[in-house]
Amino acid sequence: MLMEDKNTDADKSIQGDGPPEDKVNQEQTVTLLGEFLSWLRKKAVRKDMAHISKRTLRVLIIVLAVSALVAAVFYGVPLLDEMVPVKAPDITSDPGLNKSREYKSETYRISRDIQHLERKYNSYTSGQSYIVINTTDNKFYLYRNKKLIREGFCSSGSYTLLKTETDRKWIFKTPKGKYWVRGKTTNPVWKRPDWSFVEEGLPIPPKDDNSRYEYGVLGDYALSIGDGYLIHGTIYKRFLGMPVTHGCVRLNDDDLKVIFNTLSVGSKVYIF
Amino acid sequence: MENEQKKIETGKKSRWILPAAMVAAVLIYYSVMNIIGTTRALDQIYSNFNPEKNAKTYADSAVFTDSAYLVLLKQKAWLQSKTLMAETDSIYLMINLDDSIADLAINGVVVHSSPIIRYRLGSIFKRGNDAILYTMMSTPLSIVSSRSTIRKEPLMIKMAPKDTSEYQPDVIPDTTHTQPVNFILNMKEGIRICFYQGDPVLPRNRLARFWFDFRLRATDAWAAIKRIAVLKVPDYHPYIKLYVSRGDNRIIYRAIPRNGQVTVLL
Repeated sequence: MLMEDKNTDADKSIQGDGPPEDKVNQEQTVTLLGEFLSWLRKKAVRKDMAHISKRTLRVLIIVLAVSALVAAVFYGVPLLDEMVPVKAPDITSDPGLNKSREYKSETYRISRDIQHLERKYNSYTSGQSYIVINTTDNKFYLYRNKKLIREGFCSSGSYTLLKTETDRKWIFKTPKGKYWVRGKTTNPVWKRPDWSFVEEGLPIPPKDDNSRYEYGVLGDYALSIGDGYLIHGTIYKRFLGMPVTHGCVRLNDDDLKVIFNTLSVGSKVYIF
Repeated sequence: MENEQKKIETGKKSRWILPAAMVAAVLIYYSVMNIIGTTRALDQIYSNFNPEKNAKTYADSAVFTDSAYLVLLKQKAWLQSKTLMAETDSIYLMINLDDSIADLAINGVVVHSSPIIRYRLGSIFKRGNDAILYTMMSTPLSIVSSRSTIRKEPLMIKMAPKDTSEYQPDVIPDTTHTQPVNFILNMKEGIRICFYQGDPVLPRNRLARFWFDFRLRATDAWAAIKRIAVLKVPDYHPYIKLYVSRGDNRIIYRAIPRNGQVTVLL
């Protein structure tokens, strides 16, 4: 663009004054100058480009080399480790061996062990009614004679750690493992523990104060599984399927009724 | 002038040769030490669990290559391990690779079954001596540590309000569970069981799985480098990689105790 402007200025001056030879010379000079300038610019651009591409190439090579090294260390070497030959004899089925006395006695011994172990393992599987509680998905599964008879949603511990300024702590989580029904109650009454007052910013009343007793909040039935944990009903049915309790297992009224009638004292409760 | 130019260019090239040669030498040394480590770990497993040690006669040792006997040995190892775990009241994990099922159980009762979408085994489990592997699996494997993309117990800390004016009801928990779930269990016996999210996942989940695996490899490589630097052979962990759905991975990880037990039917 600049060049064109210059040329135009030159043309104007040529048209203005001076003899025709001078005009030709001037024209040639201007053209040569223009070409020279354009060549210089191109060269400079090329030089810049070459410099940039050289640097980019160098960076690219370094990046590739580092990636190759990382891949070799993270993936190549473990792959090599897996190629280390592992000693393993060929598996055979030798009819001669089957006839040997040692083989027969060994086979008999191991078969007997298997039968014994099978019997022992099956004896652990409860034939009675039991309930399985999944605290991750907040679901329950009720079994009778090893058959699933009911499943549904429940609510389990919220995994909240309640702390006071005086450093008293309570963790609201449902315990996991094997438990059993220790007691069954109809129309249970909730005796509010200390944390339920602390949680609401209320002063803690004396042990048997009337304010500790709440009626109708645990549903129609409750099954105790020990350590103060209960399987009970709830007035917060919209929270079923969510981890919102203080450690107890909450169920809806229909499920609770079936479970209460199916499980007896001593029935197993498996919580995971 | 030209000679000088050439000298400069040769000097530039040779500047790269030495570091490259050093890196290559270190890499070879690292690989060799790793292979020695693997060989030693495998030898250790073989010497610890070789049932032929107690064999008295030729027939005794020959049974360990007999296919019919090995089937019985496998069955016995599986039952023995399961029974030992069932004797405790804690939650344990039974991985049945024959049926591609991972069962959580308590006291002999299966409480949750998770289908295994696919799995990958380390060379020892793929090509190793069956009798030795079954002997190793006849006792439960004990978890010593674990690593995961989710928390084992999603504990939330709540400060008690000073009075009723400060009291705020609990927020309804988010139960959408979109977080990717990958975890590994490191066993006392040196075995590593990896649970990767294997169900059709979002690209984000695939990336999370890749990073989890990458970080694990980086940790291993760093541990190996540290050992090699003091002229020690790096540790080798035979692995079992299981691809299980996100929901099942979360259930298994949250249910299994920190020092829980696992058994595998190979």
